[in-house]
Amino acid sequence: MKTILKILKEHFEYRTQILKLAKADLVKTYRGSALGWSWAVIKPTVTIFVYWFAFSIGLRAGGQVAGFPFFLWLISGLVPWFYMGDMITGGTNCIRKYNYLVNKMKFPVSTIPTFVSMSNMMINLILIVIVIAIFWIFGYPPDIYLLQLPFYLLLSFIFFTLWAFFASFIGAMSKDFVNLVRSFITAVFWLSGILWDADTITNPVLHRFLMLNPVTFLVTGCRNCFINKIWFWDQPKRLMYFAVLTIFMIIIGLWSYRKLRKEIPDVL
Amino acid sequence: MSKTVIELKNVTKRYKLYKNDKQRLLGIFFKNIPFKEKNAVNNVSFKIEKGESVAIFGKNGAGKSTILKMITEVTFPTNGKITVNGRVSALLELTSGFDPEFTGRENIYLKGQILGLSNKEIKKVEQTIVDFADLEEYIDQPVRTYSSGMKARLGFSINVNIKPDILIVDEALSVGDEEFKNKCVNKVNEIINNEDVTLLFVTHSTAVAKSFCKRGIVMNKGKKQFDGDIDAAIEEYEKNIGK
Repeated sequence: MKTILKILKEHFEYRTQILKLAKADLVKTYRGSALGWSWAVIKPTVTIFVYWFAFSIGLRAGGQVAGFPFFLWLISGLVPWFYMGDMITGGTNCIRKYNYLVNKMKFPVSTIPTFVSMSNMMINLILIVIVIAIFWIFGYPPDIYLLQLPFYLLLSFIFFTLWAFFASFIGAMSKDFVNLVRSFITAVFWLSGILWDADTITNPVLHRFLMLNPVTFLVTGCRNCFINKIWFWDQPKRLMYFAVLTIFMIIIGLWSYRKLRKEIPDVL
Repeated sequence: MSKTVIELKNVTKRYKLYKNDKQRLLGIFFKNIPFKEKNAVNNVSFKIEKGESVAIFGKNGAGKSTILKMITEVTFPTNGKITVNGRVSALLELTSGFDPEFTGRENIYLKGQILGLSNKEIKKVEQTIVDFADLEEYIDQPVRTYSSGMKARLGFSINVNIKPDILIVDEALSVGDEEFKNKCVNKVNEIINNEDVTLLFVTHSTAVAKSFCKRGIVMNKGKKQFDGDIDAAIEEYEKNIGK
């Protein structure tokens, strides 16, 4: 409890610095290349094209999903995943990336995952706006269900900031952990129902198991806003699972902070 | 009326040394992973009053840098207590602590912001920092393109110009050419004479230390060997290094 208060206090005292560092993180990622900011859009566009091509043309699995063109169905889940994927790997590496804040000056290390997460979320919000525009162009203007999208994005932000908080401290201690996470990211991607609809799994045990996966929950949630038109309170059980997972994340995050905060300046 | 700005009370810093990184990772989760312990700083106590200039001598590995790191609150003591009152200028090794992707000028802002200065305050000292560092057009190039001498110049310049209460100079004057070295010595002298700044000076160069400091602390193998008048401290230190 004391640790939570201390972390919140650090965040409050450094609130302006956090915002500035988030901005600096953004600027740093996309500057220094000739195309600059357009990379923020080019990279995901290529990824989306590759998956669309492989599924629609290659596997001929395209067609309609839930009454929507496959392409729209694809981007409504894939784009929110970009943030999650970046956070799973980038979040684990964030203290390493900002090691000069840890062992060269006094700085509240607990805020590093926060501003890295904010910077990633900013990029993702831009992409989400583009997705909304694409839906509109295809003839699906925003409707009332889209109002819950910020809610899902907020949940996603909270969960993956907590993940980064937990993982970055261990990642700072050990390069092996960073590599471990990197090698599992592909597995997480293909098993989480980003490229297939987790709600079409008929085996009830397997379906329930899938919904325990926070990525599945969040991706399906975003699709519920764009495609399926389901309110989050209509599926209270998965929301509760997710809440439990978030609390679990807080607990292990605090564990790793308390255990490792004082050790990482000595090993980085 | 003197006020204690830095106080170390029975401070010990113990490093855990694992055989390799794998053992270190396992050590997070299991208690029975073997490791060796090394006391980098062993039961050290001292007080520094406001406005004092203190030199810390010691051979490599004597624990000087660890003490500075603990005073800047970058790392934490295993046992004992450290109290620090005031803003510590906190670039430890002058050549590092920059974001390599940003230009020199942007790093000035980043550093200032991290230390809690407002943009207005930074703008006021920006030109002074740029002039002092004397990097000319390189100030707007990314820091990754800098040589170590250039980084040290920028680091030192930021360090002395952000108006710290406690100025820590760690081996700073060993990089850079003669001309810049003299400029730094003059600047440090100016600061400790005109403003009420506390100086902590770590160096191997006893001559420079003598020009700033009245008090010297000699560290040997993690222990405080001597604390007192600068001339006596230099004598002790020179005995240690076998001069």
